[in-house]
Amino acid sequence: MQLSLSLDGVRFGYGASPVLDGADLAIGAGEFVVLAGHNGSGKSTLLKLCVGLLRPGAGTVRVLGGDPSDATIRRRIGYAPQGLRVVTSIPVSVGEVVTAGLTPTAAMLGRDGDTERSRARAALAAVGMADLAGECLFELSGGQQQRTILARALVADPPLLLLDEPTTGIDQSLRPRLAAELRARADAGATVLAVSHDPDDFHAVLDRILVIADGTIRQLTHEQFHAHFEVP
Amino acid sequence: MRIFVAPFAVRAYVAVAAVGLTTPLVGAFLVQRRLALVGDGIGHLAFAGVALGVAAGVAPVWGALAIAVLGAFTLERLRTAGRVAGDLALALVFYGGLAVGAVVLSAKHRFDASAIGVLFGSVLTASWTDVIVVVVLCVAVAATIVPFYRQLLAVALDEETARAAGLPVDGLNLLTVLLTAFLVVAGMRVVGLLLVAALLVIPVAAGSRLAHSFRDTITWGMTVGVISCIAGLVFALGQGSIAPGGTIVIASLVAFVAAAFAGRRAVRKHPRQAAR
Repeated sequence: MQLSLSLDGVRFGYGASPVLDGADLAIGAGEFVVLAGHNGSGKSTLLKLCVGLLRPGAGTVRVLGGDPSDATIRRRIGYAPQGLRVVTSIPVSVGEVVTAGLTPTAAMLGRDGDTERSRARAALAAVGMADLAGECLFELSGGQQQRTILARALVADPPLLLLDEPTTGIDQSLRPRLAAELRARADAGATVLAVSHDPDDFHAVLDRILVIADGTIRQLTHEQFHAHFEVP
Repeated sequence: MRIFVAPFAVRAYVAVAAVGLTTPLVGAFLVQRRLALVGDGIGHLAFAGVALGVAAGVAPVWGALAIAVLGAFTLERLRTAGRVAGDLALALVFYGGLAVGAVVLSAKHRFDASAIGVLFGSVLTASWTDVIVVVVLCVAVAATIVPFYRQLLAVALDEETARAAGLPVDGLNLLTVLLTAFLVVAGMRVVGLLLVAALLVIPVAAGSRLAHSFRDTITWGMTVGVISCIAGLVFALGQGSIAPGGTIVIASLVAFVAAAFAGRRAVRKHPRQAAR
């Protein structure tokens, strides 16, 4: 199996105590994996290591066959951080935020054209917001803002999606649709790693549940997860 | 009628229009990233550059440009290296720039009305050479912003995600402050180094009250910027003895208040807002 993402003996800490302490992980192309764990267990830290925002203290992180410090590798990752990180000084449209997801893979001096706008509309349609491209982001609900950030990660059709709590704030009724969209991406060959407090959002579509605890990663079945590792 | 056709007035209109149109192009990115005071910091540094230029026997504009660019580079490096907090770095630059300027100009016996012109603008005495320098600086800024607009916007929206996506965030941030330095020097003749930051910020703030997108905010900001500059200059010329730098900034403040009022009315009429 071709690996899209691997961690080998990764150690990382924000001080004396390690958050990751010899973490190993291997995710193949086309897999849909959910990473669960308690608050502060290192879920978001692991994603930041995978997109090069953090460097491991020891061990190796490999993403799409390369080192995540390589910008050309990172441009092929769809990353949705936890929560809305878009600053609020000036109104920005939903379409502008989503199209920003195409910028890293676009020509350096290029401009947005019909193709980019069409892809942004398609990504918004995938998250159920087809008609909202022209709306101001900050006039939308928290769930719609979260779906916008998800659409930004999807818009370039990346081979690897790293999503941090992608369903936070989104209506329960919409979550199966988003889960199905991510499953469809995985079936088409993309690798999906979603950090989530509640794997139940993806129960029907995921391939594996991984749990991070005490600095290491282990795999659980859905039943084992609920029996032995309830996340508050 | 003379205030519209006199050669000195025509030169002033060209200069203020160029600055009014261009400052929101960069100001929008500064405001979005909450770096609105960077223009002020660079303006204060440029005053030291003017003084050093006078001391070295070169035209003040070149001294201002050299020190403004050097200061912008240093300011951004200090900020990104995290060695000095952003507001502290700006404060050091504010006071250091003004102090050096005052000391050097005094030592050269040039701390006179020309210094006031540098600080508050002297567009009515601008020569065609001065105006050409202003226009060239503004065109250079606009010609740089256009091709890098998408990258700059991605960084302004979400710096961490842009960095995660492999964009050269540090380089784009440096580009933003360097373009700010160019505009500060361009605006020096029009509204002065102490007021030029107002044109980077106020028209954008006005535009943000009327727009629903970043691009529309820039468009509105450019409209407000050029109208404020022309209106302020017309008022100053009509009065005869009022400094245009002050009237231009006051005109932009009036435009901001009007935009805020119009924006609130628009929000009340917006169906999505009304539905809440």
